Amino acid sequence: MNLHPFIKAPRNTTQAIMLDVIVALIPIAMASYLAYGTLALTLLGTAITTAVVTDLLFSGILFGNWKTPLDGTSVITAMLLTFTISPLTPWFVVAFGAAAAILFGKILWGGLGKNRFNPALVGREFMASVFPSILGASSIWATTSFINLPAQDFFTGAANEPVKTYLSSLLYNPSGALGEYSTFLIVLGGLYLTLRKRISWHIPTMLLGVFAISCVVIGDTVNLEYSFAGLLFGTIFMATDMPSSPNNAPGKIYYGAMIGLVTFILVWSGVKFSYLSYSILILNGFSSIISEVFKPNPWGETNNRLQKSEKIALLTIAILGVTFAVIYLHENHALIYVLVVYILYVVLKYASDFRHKLKYPI
Amino acid sequence: MMAIPSLKKETKTQEIKRLPDPPYVLLSLLGYQEPLKPVIASGAHVQKYQLIAQSETHWSIKLHAPISGIANVVEYNGQRYLKITNDFKNDSIVCTPPKVASLNNQDILKVIRDAGIVGSGGAGFPTHIKYDVSDRPITHFIINGAECEPYLSADYALMNQAENHLWKTVQVIQKLLQADQVVLAIEKQHRELKKKMEHQIAQLNINIKIQLLGNDYPQGSELQLIKAVAGKIIPKGSITAHHGVVVSNIGTIAAIANALYLGIPYTERIVTISGEKARTKGNFLLKIGTPISYLLKQMGQDWLPSDHQIILGGPMMGSPIAHSEESISKGTGGVLLLKHLYQKTFNCIQCGYCADVCPQKLMPMEFARHAANDNIDGLQHFNLKSCIECGACAYVCPSDVPLISSILTGKQLIKTK
Repeated sequence: MNLHPFIKAPRNTTQAIMLDVIVALIPIAMASYLAYGTLALTLLGTAITTAVVTDLLFSGILFGNWKTPLDGTSVITAMLLTFTISPLTPWFVVAFGAAAAILFGKILWGGLGKNRFNPALVGREFMASVFPSILGASSIWATTSFINLPAQDFFTGAANEPVKTYLSSLLYNPSGALGEYSTFLIVLGGLYLTLRKRISWHIPTMLLGVFAISCVVIGDTVNLEYSFAGLLFGTIFMATDMPSSPNNAPGKIYYGAMIGLVTFILVWSGVKFSYLSYSILILNGFSSIISEVFKPNPWGETNNRLQKSEKIALLTIAILGVTFAVIYLHENHALIYVLVVYILYVVLKYASDFRHKLKYPI
Repeated sequence: MMAIPSLKKETKTQEIKRLPDPPYVLLSLLGYQEPLKPVIASGAHVQKYQLIAQSETHWSIKLHAPISGIANVVEYNGQRYLKITNDFKNDSIVCTPPKVASLNNQDILKVIRDAGIVGSGGAGFPTHIKYDVSDRPITHFIINGAECEPYLSADYALMNQAENHLWKTVQVIQKLLQADQVVLAIEKQHRELKKKMEHQIAQLNINIKIQLLGNDYPQGSELQLIKAVAGKIIPKGSITAHHGVVVSNIGTIAAIANALYLGIPYTERIVTISGEKARTKGNFLLKIGTPISYLLKQMGQDWLPSDHQIILGGPMMGSPIAHSEESISKGTGGVLLLKHLYQKTFNCIQCGYCADVCPQKLMPMEFARHAANDNIDGLQHFNLKSCIECGACAYVCPSDVPLISSILTGKQLIKTK
């Protein structure tokens, strides 16, 4: 017998959600094409093809589901991954990253929605750890001579030169990773996702707010090196990833704030390029605990504030502890061991009785 | 809480229509908590409004014949009904309304009990027991006019065509409960009703406050309604009168009005017929026990189970019929012909939509997780017992995770622990 309810929210399937994310990413892809032409398209194409094929093969073989790529998530993972790297990254590195993202970032966790970490960032760290000499070389960011369309002056009439340049650079500025060329289009994508209720204000606002406040509080004592467009891109498209972020509003507020704080600590400690990737991955690991600690107070139940505060304090200490451990490992080039442990963990987890629970929807 | 689009606008302003009496009625003997027992012999001739069945314990629910004819006990799908075959003589017992002004509290409760009145919202709780608050102070008597189920407009039609008896009945109940305040709550989308009813009430010199609430589902759910009107957060499972609040559906008040001022027992009610697949849509005054097969005939359409499903009640909390001999009960506010849902199940993607819309502030996705793992502690930790089964989570879930079935099996697990 069918159970209630007998109606469904219109245009609200998982596929519709993923389609919305792709729609929000397309203008950013177009900006990368403007900047680096076929270079950008080749990398995007390589990543998407590899991700979809990996998804198809492994979901098919391991789960017996040959329709998995139709959910759209492997395309999103591939696009996000490509948008975090330099246009000069070799195609095989991207292919490796996309395959690792899908296999180790999603499928071995049990597939769609069951991954604890953002697959695109997992793929990114796989690339960075396996090909450190390629991705760590400073030559990879020497992209100036490959630019198709240089920065433009979009405000020819305006008088004030610095303001003009600044505003133009918000619209289009072909430097940095492939997804960072248009702050305007990133924000536009974020607004679209917010209007469609695919992301909420909690994580981006708290993340950027705490990061900005930390910068102001610490002041000009150090030279902070970060890319604003990159920070914005990660905030809107990576930190808000549904499976790897908390699923209730108070949890999202804490989670966003902590990513902001951890990102700042990493930038402040001199971690380059990977600061946002690390901070989101660190918080991904705590996401389900955060969801539970911040679970809303059920109707008519009394709240044990003391117990809750205690849990939040311990959680914060744990997150900061992991952050400092990551900084230490990063400085000693030892993060590769974390990756080895991660691979062992997901493989063993999959091989354990866990795989009998694959049929469960959660 | 969220807004749900539906065909409500198409039916709400339609006048209440009557259908010719059905050739037979089927009255469920299910009762509340215990089955009803027929008080007449099988095959006996019954008069219209005659008492034909009742429950024998303190719930004391009574069932009356809505038409005259020959009564028989029949069974469909293992459920017992009293079937009255209409003799179309409309042979009625003489109804003499009581002298309302001279009734004391016990008399009023007795009138309500003897008229077989139960809540018209669907749960079917006997009204005379709800109103028996003895000396408990009641701060709010809330009349639920917030018909938050999509498609349904029966309560709207009732309020739109309210007669003076309805408001006088409210006054009688207010005196019975000694309630400080009487509030009729309706949704904002029906604000045009407010002025109309206020004008009518003012002319009768009765003090009823009409309050506009949001259009979100489930605004008409008892606990959410009490919070919105009285500002009290009452945990699920407690008796609201113990917190100084009594809530009644506007449909229940109409049934009491018939008993008090016409002397007629609860034998008919307003029902919305609607849905994308319904050929006729509108609000109808139907006899309790009207079979769905008869309704379909009147609408000039057949039930094609491959094409549509038929729901008794609202689309969020109603139940599908298994055969066309099911019938209108005292709690049926709607008959909906809806297309089948195309379910495309994915894994939970942790979007949190279910937690966002849950009126009880629960995390429904966790019920799916723990019910699948038979984890009773997990279910209790996430307060499954507070769930009111309103269906908002399942409505909004993009992955069609089986939330309601997890909730029901979860509650069963806790019960059998």
